[in-house]
Parts: sequence; C-alpha cells; structure tokens
Amino acid sequence: MAQVAILPDRSRFPGTGERGRARELAARLPRLVLEARRVATSLAHGIHGRRRAGPGESFWQFRPFTSGESASRIDWRRSARDSKLYVREREWEAAQTIELWIDRSVSMAFASSLARAPKVERAVVLGLALADTLVAAGERVGCLGLLAPRASRHISEQIAEALAADVAGADRDLPPAAPLRQRSEPLLIGDFLVPLQDIEETISFIASNGARGHVLLVVDPVEETFPFSGQTELIDPESGARLHLGDAAGWGEDYRRRFQAHREGLRAILTRYGFTLTVHHTDRPASEAALRVLTLLASRRNGGA
Amino acid sequence: MFGLDFLGLPLAFAAPLTLLALAGLPALWLLLRITPPAPRRIAFPPLRLALDLAPHRQTPARTPWWLLLLRLLIAALIILAAAWPAWNPLPAMPGNGPVLLLLDNGFSAANDWPARVSAARDILASASRDKRPVALVGLADAPGDIALDSGADAGERLRALEPRPHVAERAAHLESIRRFLDSHADAAIAWVGDGTAVSAAGAGIADAEATFAARLDALRGARALDVRAEPFAGALALAGSRNTRDGLEVTVTRADPRAPAQGRLRAVDFRSLPLGEAAFAFGDGATEATALFDLPIEIRNAVARVDIAGQASAGAVTLVDDRQRRHRVGLISGAGADTASQPLLSPTFYLARALEPFAELREPRGALPDVVARLIDENATVIALTDIGVIDRQTAAKLEAFVERGGVLLRFAGPRMANSDETLVPVRLRQGERTIGGALSWDTPKTLAPFPETGPFQGLDAPQEITVMRQVLAEPDADLNRRTWAALSDGTPIVTADRRGEGLIVLVHVTADSTWSNLPLSGTFVEMLRRIIAMAGRHAAAQDNTAADAPGASAETVSPLRVLDGFGAFRSPPATARPVPRNGAVSASRDHPAGFYGTNEAPLALNVLRDGDRLAPLDLGPLAGAVKPLSSPQSFDLRLPLLLAALVLFMADTLIGALLGGRRRGRLTYAGAGSALPVLLLAAALLALPAAPSLAQAPLSDIDRQAALHTRLAYVLTGNGEVDETSRAGLAGLGQELAFRTSFEPADPVGVDPATDELAFYPLIYWPIAADAPPASEAALRKIDAYMKAGGTVIFDTRDAWSQGAGGGSPTPETARLRQMLAGIDVPELEPVPPDHVLTKTFFLMDHFPGRYATGQTWVEALPPAPEGEPRPVRSGDNVSPIIITANDLAAAWALDDFGNPLYPTVGADPDQREMAARGGMNMVMYVLTGSYKADQVHVPALLDRLGQ
Repeated sequence: MAQVAILPDRSRFPGTGERGRARELAARLPRLVLEARRVATSLAHGIHGRRRAGPGESFWQFRPFTSGESASRIDWRRSARDSKLYVREREWEAAQTIELWIDRSVSMAFASSLARAPKVERAVVLGLALADTLVAAGERVGCLGLLAPRASRHISEQIAEALAADVAGADRDLPPAAPLRQRSEPLLIGDFLVPLQDIEETISFIASNGARGHVLLVVDPVEETFPFSGQTELIDPESGARLHLGDAAGWGEDYRRRFQAHREGLRAILTRYGFTLTVHHTDRPASEAALRVLTLLASRRNGGA
Repeated sequence: MFGLDFLGLPLAFAAPLTLLALAGLPALWLLLRITPPAPRRIAFPPLRLALDLAPHRQTPARTPWWLLLLRLLIAALIILAAAWPAWNPLPAMPGNGPVLLLLDNGFSAANDWPARVSAARDILASASRDKRPVALVGLADAPGDIALDSGADAGERLRALEPRPHVAERAAHLESIRRFLDSHADAAIAWVGDGTAVSAAGAGIADAEATFAARLDALRGARALDVRAEPFAGALALAGSRNTRDGLEVTVTRADPRAPAQGRLRAVDFRSLPLGEAAFAFGDGATEATALFDLPIEIRNAVARVDIAGQASAGAVTLVDDRQRRHRVGLISGAGADTASQPLLSPTFYLARALEPFAELREPRGALPDVVARLIDENATVIALTDIGVIDRQTAAKLEAFVERGGVLLRFAGPRMANSDETLVPVRLRQGERTIGGALSWDTPKTLAPFPETGPFQGLDAPQEITVMRQVLAEPDADLNRRTWAALSDGTPIVTADRRGEGLIVLVHVTADSTWSNLPLSGTFVEMLRRIIAMAGRHAAAQDNTAADAPGASAETVSPLRVLDGFGAFRSPPATARPVPRNGAVSASRDHPAGFYGTNEAPLALNVLRDGDRLAPLDLGPLAGAVKPLSSPQSFDLRLPLLLAALVLFMADTLIGALLGGRRRGRLTYAGAGSALPVLLLAAALLALPAAPSLAQAPLSDIDRQAALHTRLAYVLTGNGEVDETSRAGLAGLGQELAFRTSFEPADPVGVDPATDELAFYPLIYWPIAADAPPASEAALRKIDAYMKAGGTVIFDTRDAWSQGAGGGSPTPETARLRQMLAGIDVPELEPVPPDHVLTKTFFLMDHFPGRYATGQTWVEALPPAPEGEPRPVRSGDNVSPIIITANDLAAAWALDDFGNPLYPTVGADPDQREMAARGGMNMVMYVLTGSYKADQVHVPALLDRLGQ
C-alpha cells in the first residue's frame, strides 16, 4: 500500500520569498536548476537531427524573391551566387514566445511512496529544464504573469527567482486567465485538480486571441490508482475537506472512474482549444515528459503555425 | 480449594482469585467498543474531484451491542474457566501434611476396582490440588518402605496398581505404616478398603488381619483417617469345587448377607469354551451356597475353570484340576497275548468301554511287574486287574503300597484267580469257583439282590435279567457282610471290598467279560464302576495329602503355567511367580499367584480360596465411624465445557465478523477475529497462570549453569577467608598446570557450600579442614555422602602434616575435626596409597603426594587384595576412590599469585617439592576423570604383543 506525505509548505516555493531565507534559497535553487540543466542536457542529446539555429544567427531561410517586395530585403550575397534573387527570412522576427506557468498550489506539494519526487518539484524541474532547453534552442521563454519572455542564458535562474518571489501566485490552481498573444505558446505545468468548468474558463481566456499551447499534467501514481483499502479518512490538503471511508478499496473503484472522467474531460477541453496534453507520472523520469513536450513544440513549429 | 457455594449449588472454584479478572470486563467493554480501529488518515489532493462520491457502504463505527455482548461472554467464560470451577468439588483431605493412601488390592477388591481407583484418584486429586505429597500403598503388595510421591507420580503408580490374585495381607504393612507415620507427624491417612477378610478353613480369620483396623487406629493417634468403603462387602467368591456323584459341586461364599444373593456360575474348559452354567442362591442370611453343575461326566471332566458370571475377581474363579476330575485307570489283563487278536473276548474290552466316558484309561502291555510299576509311576488312581492269578511278591508289595497310599485296586475274578492262593483280595476266597445253572448244576443262574442301603451302590437298579453263572466264592467270615457291596439273590457276595490304609481293594467275583455273567453287558455295570472310581477320587485327594506329609515329597515342585490376575483373567505368569509343591499344599500368595501350575497335560490348580475358606466381613472396629461411601458424587471439572463453549462462541464471533465485514468480493475481513483474538490470548494466559506453579521447577542457578557448562574443580567454603582464598588460588594454580600439561583445561575453580549447592557438576571437591571453621551441617554431610556414593571424589586436606607429630600422639584439631566429620559419613575402608595404586600412575609416576608439606600420609579407599599369581604393575578398584585424605596442605603448594609466583613456601628439603605437589595434584585430577583407565592401560603392551602374533 502506498504511503503518501504532505511536504512542508515551503517546498512549493523553490527558494522561498522570505528575505531571511536567502541562504536556503541559495542552497535549494542550484539543486533544482542543476537538475533542470541535467534534464536539459539529456534532452539536447536526446533529439538528434533537429534543425536549430546557432546563437546570434538571425537567418532562418532563403526564399525566392517575389516581385512587389521591398528590394532592401534581398540578400544580395546569396543572390549573387546564381541568377535568382533571394530574400533572407529572419526567423527571429517572427519568433514565438513560450509562456511558462508552473502550478505550485497546495495540492502540488504531494508525494506518495510510489513517486520519485513530489509533484511540485517535478513540475518546477520540468519547467526550468524546458525553459533552459528552449532558450538554448533560440526560443524566448517567459513566465506567465511573472517574467516577460526573454532569451537569457540564465533563464532558469531567473524563472526560479521569479517563482520564489511570487508568493501570491503560489496559491493559484490555474494560470492567470488573461488572453495571450497569438504568437505566445503557453506551457502550463500542473495537476489541474480543479473542476472542469474552471479549467475551460481559464483556457478559453488564454486562447481567446488564438494562442495555442501545451499542458503538462503532473500526476502522482497514487492519484491515479488509489491503492488504499480499509478504514480510511481522506483529507483534501487544499480545502481541508474530509471524507471517511469504511472501505477504501470499494470506494476506489468509483474514484478511479471519476478521475478518468476528469482526465477525459480535460483532454476534450484542451483539444477543443488546440492545446496538447502530456501526462507525466512522478514515478517516471522527468526527461520522458520533457522530450514529449519538446517534440510537441517542435512539431508545432515544423507544422507551421 | 476455596469452596464457594453458590446458592447452595455444589460449585467451587479452585482458583477463585482469577474471578477478580471479571472486574476487568468493563475495561474490555471499552476496549471492544473502539473497534474497528481508528481509520488511517490519508492526505489526498484529488479528493476535491470526488468529494461527492458517497461511499457504498460504511462499516459501522461501533460494534453492535449484541456482538459486544457475545465477546464479553467469551471473555467471561474464559475467566470462569480459568478460575477452575468444579461441580461437586472433591472434599479436601484434612490437615495439610502428606497423605498416606492405603488401597486394598487383594482379590476381593477386584470386582468394583474402577470404583476404588476412582475413589483413590479423587483423594489423589484433592491432595495434588493442595500440593500435598502422597504415599500410595497397595495393601496386597509386598510391604516395604513407604515413599512419598508428588501427586502426578502417585497418579502414575495408582494407574499401575492392580488387584492381586491373592488375599490381601494388610497386617504385614502395619510396621512400614508405623515407620512412615513416625517420620511424618502431620500425615493424613486415607484407606480405600474392601471390608473383606478370609477365614481359613477351621482357623477363622487370622488374628493379625482381624485386628488390622484396630491397630491402624492405634497407630494413627490424632491424625485424620478417612476410610472409604462400601457399606458392606459385596464380594462373592468361590471356595473350591468337588466332583461328586451328582455333578460338579462348587461352593460360593460371601462376606456379608447383604451381598448379591443369587447368580450364575459358568464352567469353561481349558480353552475357555463354555461348558455349562449353574445357578446358585444364598439362603436368607447365609454366607455360603452351593451350586451344582449337572453335566455328563465326560463334559464335567473337561471343566477347567468355574467362575461367577459378572464378578471380575480372582476370588470368583475356581480352577479345577485332575484332582477334582477324571481318574487314571490302569487296566491289566491276565489273559494271554492271544486275546489281542480277539478283542471282543478280551476282558478289558468291556471295562474299557464302560470306563471310557469318565476315566482316562491306560492299558500298557507287558509283563505284570513292569506294567504295575509303570501304572503306579503314571499316577494311576485305579488299577484294574482282570483275572490275574499269581502276583509275584515284589509286585504285590508295590500294589499293597499303592493301595495303602489311597489307590483303588479293582480286581475281577477269572479262571486263573479261582485257582490261586490270593493275597490282594478283600475277602478270603475258596479255592475254585462255583458254577450255577450249568449242565452239571442243580441251580438256575442267580440274579442280583438289591444293593444294600449302606453300600456305595445304594440306589442303583439291580435288574433281574442280570444272571451270574459262575463266580468265585468268599469264605464265610464275620466281616464278610460288612465287606460285601453287592450280593446275589442267595446272599453270595458278588462285589466285595476292603479298606487298606487309605485305599480300597475291590473284588468283583465274576469276570470282566461275559463268560461268567452278563453283568458286564449291563448298564448297571457302568454305574457300579463309576461309583467305585468316584470313591477313588476322594482317596486320590487323600493320597496327595498323605504325600505332603512325607518330607521327600514336598520337595517336588511345579512351575507356574498360567496364572490369574486380580480380575480373574488368565495371563502368563509374572517373573515373581514361584513354583509350588506338587501336592498343592500352599495357598495363593504374592509368590504363588492363583492359577495353573505344572504342565498342560497334568496341570495343578492353585485357587485363591482353598476348600473350606470363607469370606468374612473385616471388623473395622474403632474405624467404623470414619467410613465414608466409596463413590462420592462424581466431581466434574467445569473448565473443559466452559472453554469449549468459549471456543464455539469465538467461532460464531468469527463467522459473524466475516459476514458483517467481508462479503465484498468474497474476501473476508478479520476485523471480528482480530478483536476477539486478544481475548483468547488473554484466556490462554489466564489459564496458564494456575498451572504455572505446579509446572515450575527449581530454576537452575547461575552458578550451577556455569558449572554444568564447563568442567571445573570445586573447593568447599569453610568460612575461613584465608583458607578459602588459598583453596581458590591453589585450584586455580593447579588448573593452570593442568591446562599447560594436559588436555584438560578446567574453568575457574568454584567455592561450594555442600549444604546448599548442587555438587553433581564437580568431578573433584577439595575440602580443606579448618579447625576454627563452623562444623559442617548434617545436611552438608548427607549431600557429601550422596556425592561420594554417586561417584564423586572429595579430597580432605587437614593441612596439619607439620604439626601432626607435635601433639605427642593426640590428634591435631584439624584431624579431630575431620574424624568427627567422617563419623557422619559412610566412609569406605582406607589405606595409605599403595605403591601400585593407579593414583600413582594416572599421569605422572609418583611415589608420594607432597603438598606444602611432604611428611603427611595420603589415604585412599582400600583396594581389594592383590590377586594371586603374576604381580601386576598397577591395581585399581572398580571405582574411583570417593575419598582422598591428606595432611600436606596441597592447595598451599599449588597456589600462585597473579604473577605466577608461589604464594607459600614449601616446607621440606626437596627443591622439587612444589613441582611434585603439582604433579600429584594432576594425578589426582586425572584419576578422578579417567578412573581405572590407566590400570587397564598397563595391559596395552601385552595386548599389542598378542595382536602382533
């Protein structure tokens, strides 16, 4: 039977916002950041043959000059090599921004004995790692409502600092319901254990300008399988609600059905708004989910937005 | 037993304190109420999604009250059972000392033996419940010292006790009972008696037995005495059987007129096949009755055993042997060998046919003297001579002696006899025979006159068709009439008889065949022969008795063949059964259990009751008032039913728990079982509690455990600190030397107090005698004595060799103390260690055993004298000498300090004295450990030599 534990509250703040805990911040952040880097490195090695531009290079591709275009856009050096005129397209001008949001609510501070890491830690690690990787890939990564998109090499440190400083946002179950620009690509990491209509409302706001994004669902295996039996009292750490079960094993059947329905509902909502859904179990290595998210991001790029 | 009479019910608890646990039931109530246990609390974030999912079914948070009640009932039942309740509790024996339990186990106790054993077991149970030792004495067993047993051992002995197939000799036990009571002043006595004594024929009840009760009462003094007996002695017994003319007559006797008045006897043969039954009935108030088996004589002869149906007792069996049975009849014919080819003409033919049904016939062939001698050797009781003329003098003397001893000589007349001068005849005969009704005779054949009323043939028919044509005639004589058993119608004797000594000579004045008369053809002839032979039976018995008086005859003994056990069943003889004289002149006893003796062909019956013995009630005298009934109301231990009920309820509880909590998907939950299990465990613990004290043995002390794990030398703590320390250091030093030079590595020496410590673990005990120490207690001496007897060796060291000479012959204080001490111990004969003693050779070759002093003499148990012949280099007894006495202060010579330096200087000129002392000590230890091994070792060269050849 699985054991579960509620982590101390501050674990939801990778580096607490308290000034007095600067040392702890310093001690904790590098670990998460390093972990994120490690994941990112393995990602870089994990996806071969991905076309990516080197840093500082603004060139994306040449395309034949079409009449009517401004002549200043002709790349003469290229055009000089043959008889056609080429236009240098500068991808960076059209670069999309990744808006990262990491759920750090109370429900995320949860780890069962079956999991490798608490959900919040896994979410932060995944977020930072993806940010690092994406920045390295030339993307601009920002934090939804916290950090403007940027392509800083120290993006993971910056996000971590922002997260640590954001005390108010730590209680949010859902990202801020603000419309994103079309070129923004939200990457929402969380457990989304909220009623479906709340999720739909938020997603609809975010996508109201046409932004499409990705949802990385972090799930503790216990939450899916509910391996409990016997006399049990369940406590919701967020609301404090309690449920007394005479026979947990019997109730678990119903629960699993409900949980699956919630998952399906979530998937339907996301599909409707053009979001992808990646489910990550905390008993699996973080790189699996990161790879999938990266693949989704890349395929969206390749597929042309 | 603390009897708690509940509402007058005969209910009591042996461990009533356990009932206090009932007060804990409310606590148990609370304990059970909080089951099922508090639920596990699990933080579960997704709960928000499923908060509205109502559980299907909730286990009730509270155990239902009826289930709770059931469990409390289980607990209460178990507590009640642990309190050891008993219905009709056994009454406790008065007093609190040991219990002397006397149990009558003679034959008369056998019939209701289970009741007696049950009464005895009740007494045992009540004694063992009160933790009182019990001495169990079977009064028919051999008297001996009475030993105390624990209740369990006494129970075993009681189980082994069985009724004996002889009369209980209670008085023989009085002496040992007196000794027991002398040493146990607080003993209580219980006697499970059968109230029966045996009055021997003519002698009545032996005085010793008749006064047993009175003497027991005198012995007991003020002690409690509990007599358990039936209100009257109900035993029936058979007192002998007689094969009479009318049938097998068996005497039934009873001790008390209230005993069963009628019953049936059963006769079986040697292979236990039933042959017949006979009823007996006692007259009103009579204690003696007779049963008659009216059986054909041949069947009667096959009877080997008669017993009373429904009475299982050796006394209710009477065995029948040859003496009550058929007779061996030897037939001798004077006719020539030619008659053998014409058997119908042989005179013995008619005799054989007439005698066959009830007698064993012997018809040897050969010359008359040989045949007679053989028949007499074969123990024939009747010898029939048909038409024997001349008997030589030697044979006549033999026959004379045979008749004198009680044999019956049956003679038939004939032509040869008529013309001889006869001696072995009852009457003087005229020469020649008379012929009646022949061609030359005037008379018609004579017929038989009616048989005389006084003769043995009285009552027989004298059929008129019997005619006598020829006969030998008796000379008229004054005695002729008296000797005539049968006569012809004209008064001529036809059968005459004369008593000679114990026996009879009978003459039939006609031949045994039909040439002279048709008498042998008639049935009357058979009856007449039967009567004659029946008379021989009585005389044969008398013959045995006569023989018993002869000194030579009593030496002949026969060994037991099949003996009776106390219940009257046959079994093979026990090892203790001893042969009896052939004449059966002994009565059944411990050494001679009732049964058959001798061989299967001619068994000799030894009965519990001899002919004429009668049962009689035992006079309880002054004890009569203390008699309690044998069977008390059945005491019933209620523990088992209570526990069973608890178990059944527990199973029900488990079932209910399974039904309540575990129907889902066929999986049982054991919530119910889980909550009742502690109750059951509690029950087991409670039950174990009362039993624990009786099971507990004296725990092994730590010292004893250590001593048992390592071989170590021991010294006796004298109480003198310096002496004790020297002993310890000495033995430790010796131990070092032993470990250094031998393969024996003793652990640290240990000081023992022989009065209190267990000595069995130590092979050798060193006992320094300190004059100023308190003398050894009596208990210590007893234990030392037992230790020495059991193979241990004690070295007594008076440590006074230095001062021994100084007192001018008077012993030193240490020597005096040793003498005083050894006076209380069984010390074997002692001698100074002889030069060939094995002690001098066990490890080192030593000639003396110095210690700190070298002048003292060393004494050991004297060896048996040296055998004659070749001198052996070494001698030893069978055992290790249990005692070694020295004065040389051995320990002081062995003692070393912590650095290995000697503690005490040696006294003497020899610089090697300390080394010699250590070697002597090692020899002693080796001697104690190896015994006479070294003495046997001296033969090794010789053995090897022999093997080499």
